[in-house]
Amino acid sequence: MKAGKKAHVERYGSVRLSHGSGGKLTLELITEVFAATFGSEPLKELTDAAILENPGGRLAFTTDSHAIKPLFFPGGDIGRLAVAGTVNDLAVVGAKPLYLSAAFLLEEGFPLEDLVRIAESMKATADEAGVAIVCGDTKVLERGKGDGVFINTAGVGFIPPGRDLGPHRVAPGDVVLVNGTLGDHGIAVLSQREGFELTLALRSDVAPLNSLVEAVLAAAPGTKFLRDITRGGLAAVANELVLGKPFGIRIFDHQIPLHPDVVEYSEMLGIDPLLAANEGKVLVVVPKEEAEAALEAMRRHPLGKQAAIIGDIVRKPQGLAVVETAYGTRRILEMPVEELLPRIC
Amino acid sequence: MSYDPEVYKDPKLVLALKERIAEVARELGRPVKIMHICGTHEHEIGRYGLRDLLPESVELLAGPGCPVCVCDAEYIDRAIQLALTPGVILASFGDMLAVPGGIPLRDGRPGDVRMSLLDAKARGGDVRAVYSVFDAARLARENPDKEVVFFSVGFETTVVAVAALLKRGAPGNFSLLEANYYTPPATSMLPTLEGFDVQGFLLPGHAAAITGLKIYEHLPRLGIACASAGFEPVDVLSGVLSVLLQLKEGKPRLENTYRRVIPYEGNTLALKELFEVFELVPQRWRGIGVIPDSGFRLREAYRGYSAEERFKEVFARPLPRSEREHPKGCRCAEVTLGLVRPSECPVFGKLCTPDNPYGPCMVSHEGTCRAWYTYGMDRGRIEVEV
Ligand code: SF4
Repeated sequence: MKAGKKAHVERYGSVRLSHGSGGKLTLELITEVFAATFGSEPLKELTDAAILENPGGRLAFTTDSHAIKPLFFPGGDIGRLAVAGTVNDLAVVGAKPLYLSAAFLLEEGFPLEDLVRIAESMKATADEAGVAIVCGDTKVLERGKGDGVFINTAGVGFIPPGRDLGPHRVAPGDVVLVNGTLGDHGIAVLSQREGFELTLALRSDVAPLNSLVEAVLAAAPGTKFLRDITRGGLAAVANELVLGKPFGIRIFDHQIPLHPDVVEYSEMLGIDPLLAANEGKVLVVVPKEEAEAALEAMRRHPLGKQAAIIGDIVRKPQGLAVVETAYGTRRILEMPVEELLPRIC
Repeated sequence: MSYDPEVYKDPKLVLALKERIAEVARELGRPVKIMHICGTHEHEIGRYGLRDLLPESVELLAGPGCPVCVCDAEYIDRAIQLALTPGVILASFGDMLAVPGGIPLRDGRPGDVRMSLLDAKARGGDVRAVYSVFDAARLARENPDKEVVFFSVGFETTVVAVAALLKRGAPGNFSLLEANYYTPPATSMLPTLEGFDVQGFLLPGHAAAITGLKIYEHLPRLGIACASAGFEPVDVLSGVLSVLLQLKEGKPRLENTYRRVIPYEGNTLALKELFEVFELVPQRWRGIGVIPDSGFRLREAYRGYSAEERFKEVFARPLPRSEREHPKGCRCAEVTLGLVRPSECPVFGKLCTPDNPYGPCMVSHEGTCRAWYTYGMDRGRIEVEV
C-alpha cells in the first residue's frame, strides 16, 4: 500500500469516524498527513509527549482554539490563523516562539484534500515564524456536529533575560503605534459570508508577527507594552489596556491607517473599523523618545510598511479610551459588546 | 489612506463652518434647538463628536429617527410567536433581535424586563439574522419545506427594496410581518405636540432621496426652518448653518443642502413601485401613539404575502402583554420625541446598557440611547489631560 499525503487522500477521500478512533486510520492520518507535512523530529517519533530542549530562562506558554467561517478566505485559511494566532500571543509578551502543538477536531465527511491544504498552510506559516509543530491530536465529530475543522494550538516560547513588558510599565506621555491598516481581516472575512460574496482587493492580514516584534524591541529597547489586535479590534485592546488604570488612552482617528476597501465597506455596512478584527496587527506602547525609532523599525519590516503613530497615553480621563478627530472633537471608544452585524439602513 | 479622504470630512471646511455657525448664532442672540430625525445622523454626530463644535446656544436634538425604536411592541411579540411556531423561520435584521417587546420575562434581571427575539431563539425558535429582504427570500428558496417570515422593519428607504422584490415575485413560502413606517406624517405631527420647542429641522438625506422634499413643504409655514442634510460632518454642519441663517433672516424655508442626492420630487420610479405594492394606513408608533397614514400595508393584490393572512391562527392568539408599552422607568418615548436626553433616563448606563438593553432605544445603532452610550455623549465635552 502506498503511503503519503496524496495516497491518503485518494484512499479515503474525506474524514471518517475511524480517523479519530485511535486505531489504524488515526495512525495513518498522523504519519501520512500531519507528521509528513509538519516534518518535526518529535512528531515523527510518535511518542506520547514531545521531548524538547530547554533553552534556559523563563518560558511563555499559551493556547488558543480556532473556528472560522469560511475556512479559506482571501489572504489566509484556518491553518495559517491557528499558527499565527498562537505565535503572536507569545511574541507580544516578549517571548521568542519555539514549539507549537496542533489539535484537530474534524467533522466526519470533511474533504481530506482540504485538510491537507490546511496542514500545508500551517507548515508554511510555522516556517515563516521559525517555530516547529511538535505534537498533536485528532478527534472526529459526527457529521453535523462540527463546522468542518476546529484547530487548537498551544505554544511555548522563551523570554530572553531582562525583558519586561506589560501594562504596569505604561505611563502618561507614552506613544501608541500600530504596524498597519486596521480591520482588514474582519472585513475581508465578512465580505465572503453568505449574502455578500464580494470580490475585493482586500486580503486578511493574518501573519506571524514575531520577527516584526523583535525588530521593534531591537530599535526601541524601552518598549513597554505590546498586544496583538484581534477580535474586538483596536477598541477591545485599547480598553483592556486602560481599564481600572490611573491613565487613559487617546487615539487620533485621522492617523489610523485604513485600507480603502475597509473605509468603503465598513461605511456601507455601518461597521466601525476600530471594532473589526485583525490577525496580523500589534499595538505598541513606547516611551516618547523611542517613538520614531519604533516607527522606523516597523516601516522597514514587510509587515509594517504602513505603520503609524496613532495615539498617546494620557493622565485624564482615567480608565477610558478616547478618540480625538481631526476637528479636535472627542468621543468615547467603547468596549465592543457584540458580534459585528451590519445595520438596518 | 486615513479616515478623512473626502471633502465632506475635510477638517479645514469643518472648522470654517464651525466659525461661521458661531458667528451667526451670536448675531441671532437667542438659543436655538434643531432636531434631526434620523438615527444615522445621531450616530455620525456621535462618531465625529460634532456637538463639540456647536456654540452653547445651539442644541442638536435627536428626534424619531430609529425604525427599531418606534416599532410597536406588538409586532415584536407577534414575531416572537411566529418564531416559536413549528415550521417557521423568522428572518430579521440583526438590529431587531435584542429589542424587548411587550411580553414580560422573568429571568432574574431587575426591573420590568421583556422578551426579545433572542429569548425566543433561546427557547428553540428558529430566528435568523439577515442583511436584506433578498437574503430572506433566498432563505425561503433554500428551505422549501419551511415557511419563511421576514420581519419587515424600517422606514420608506428600507421598504422600497421589499416592494421591488414582491413586484418581481417572491417564493410561495415567503411572507412579511409588516412593520414598516412612513416618516413624513410623524415629522408633521411633531410641531403639534405640547412642549415641543424646536426651531429647525435637519431632514434625513437618504430618506428624502426617496420621498423628495415636497412632502415637507408645510413645515416652513409653521415657522420651522428646514434643511435636508447628508451624514458627513460637512453635511451636518452645513445643515445647521442653513437653519441658523434662515432664522436670522426670519424666513424659514426648505433648503436642500444635500443636492448631490435629493431631487425635489424624490425618486419617482421607486415611489411608483412602492405605492403599487403598499398603501398607507394608520400606524402605531411605540410609546407615541397612532399616526394617520404613517404605516405601509400590502395592497389587496399582494395580501398573499402578508404573514397576518397566512398565520391567522397565530395572530388571533391573545398576547400575554404588559400594560405599558415601554418597560417601567424607560423614557424611550420622550427620548424618541426629543423631549428628554438619554442621560435624563434614570436607568441609562446602569440597568440599561447595550449588552443588557432594558428599553428599545439602547439596542439598535440607530437608537439614540445606544449612540449616546457608545460614544459617551452623556459626558458632554470630554476633557483630556496630557
Ligand atoms: S436608557 Fe433609553 S432605552 Fe434604556 S431605559 Fe432609558 S430611555 Fe429606555
